[in-house]
Amino acid sequence: MDTVKLYFRSMKMLLRSQMQYPLSFILQTISQIVMTGGELMAVLLLIDRFDALNHWSAGDLLFIYGMMDITFYLTECFGRGVTGNFAALIQSGGLDTLMLRPRGIFTQTLCRAIDPRRIGCISVGVAAVIMGANLASIEWTFLKWAAFFESILLGMLLILGLFLIEVIFSIYSVKSIEVVNALTYGGRSACQYPIDVYPRVLRLLFMVVAPFALTLHVPAAYILGKPLYGWPDFTAFLCPLAGAVLFFIMYLCFQKALRFYRSTGS
Amino acid sequence: MKKYISIFLMRLKMETQYRGAALGGILCQMFFGLVYIALYRAFYAGKPQDFPVSSLVTYVWLQQAFFRMLLAFDSELGEKIRTGGIAYDLCRPMNFYGYYYARSAAQKLMGSLLRAIPMLLFAMLLPDGWCISAPASLPALLISLLALMTGLLCICALDNITMGVTMRTIDPKGMQAMLNLLMMTFSGNILPLTLFPDSWQKVITLLPYAQLLDAPIRLYTGEWALSQAPRVLLIQLFWLAALTGLGLFIWQRNQKHLVVQGG
Repeated sequence: MDTVKLYFRSMKMLLRSQMQYPLSFILQTISQIVMTGGELMAVLLLIDRFDALNHWSAGDLLFIYGMMDITFYLTECFGRGVTGNFAALIQSGGLDTLMLRPRGIFTQTLCRAIDPRRIGCISVGVAAVIMGANLASIEWTFLKWAAFFESILLGMLLILGLFLIEVIFSIYSVKSIEVVNALTYGGRSACQYPIDVYPRVLRLLFMVVAPFALTLHVPAAYILGKPLYGWPDFTAFLCPLAGAVLFFIMYLCFQKALRFYRSTGS
Repeated sequence: MKKYISIFLMRLKMETQYRGAALGGILCQMFFGLVYIALYRAFYAGKPQDFPVSSLVTYVWLQQAFFRMLLAFDSELGEKIRTGGIAYDLCRPMNFYGYYYARSAAQKLMGSLLRAIPMLLFAMLLPDGWCISAPASLPALLISLLALMTGLLCICALDNITMGVTMRTIDPKGMQAMLNLLMMTFSGNILPLTLFPDSWQKVITLLPYAQLLDAPIRLYTGEWALSQAPRVLLIQLFWLAALTGLGLFIWQRNQKHLVVQGG
């Protein structure tokens, strides 16, 4: 509990320090809105040309796109310490200082940074979800709200876990490994659209290796009333747990990797 | 002219040194290419369009292969302005604009060739419906290569304008991000320009951004017949002249007001 308090305390401090330059913050937030807005425009143009994707209507597509956006950018906002440039921390020897402090390395890494500008991207995602939900005329129930928030929370854990892979690699190799981006950013781009439109290899990748399909698509399909592969309703609450499992495994690997850490000495 | 060419050749050689770094980028680019193609094929299955899916697939592969050309990665200049190192560049007995132009042309050419060759080989080996198709004809291939080179020069001129506009602010990230977005959207990288609404086509294909990769690709796939090639090249040359002129003007004005930071 103490750790959680510490996390929120550092977030508050970081936020306050970033707000010292309000104009720069506002401008950067606007540029983020424009950038994600550009991506959303691409989706809208695709929908405009093709009307639908298999049995997914325009509303369904927007809803899923928006949920992915919210989940991903919330992670980038609050988990910036992990999703940011961890390799730089190792190259500069900054990790050594963290080791001296009486707290877990992971907690400290998380507490290092926040990226409030992401609020711009998140708001675009929220707009897409609202538009999609209206178009698809979702009938919200308590259970559907629960599935919605569970999906976002556990999806965030999944994305943190995937970024931890990059962190673990960079502990061993000092440099950051670009290929892992295929899982994180590639996963985001691919899974903005429903999983069942992809060929089998990609489906397996996003079901088993980087289970975006389980944390995002199964609950989203349940909310939209078009269960994925006709799976029963309870799977919408069970499947997202895969995100927590992956995070936990990566967390353990991270702790293990730290024992191999050798300072760069700079 | 000779000194600019030798700068160009030197940079070309330097760029070949980063072969290892290219590998990670290539794998990522391939993955993204496959994902996009899978997605567009699924969209096509529901509602086929006027132009065949095979040219769309070719479009995606060529965009991914030459993606590096679009990236403005000469971050050195900003660094030099901040540290004051720019004073050295100003002392060189050549035009400041031309120096950077030659540098970025070489970086973009070699950087994208290093990535494009393995990627296109990979794209050729893929099964039918996923692989890149052959050019419409041999003349079409030659003319699209010519258009690609003109496009490359246009990108360098555009990049120099971006640098010129942002040169005078110390933290140009926000502005650069916006200009980059414009480039990525209207050059067809985020979504092939052929998939934009038909009513937009007339305007977006005339924009400078469409001259970079979109025009060469359309000539390659034969969506634009050979008879249209002179028109396309003329538009490209117009933009090349206009963008270079504008860039030169901005840089020359900046040079008078440049404040060298630090020392």
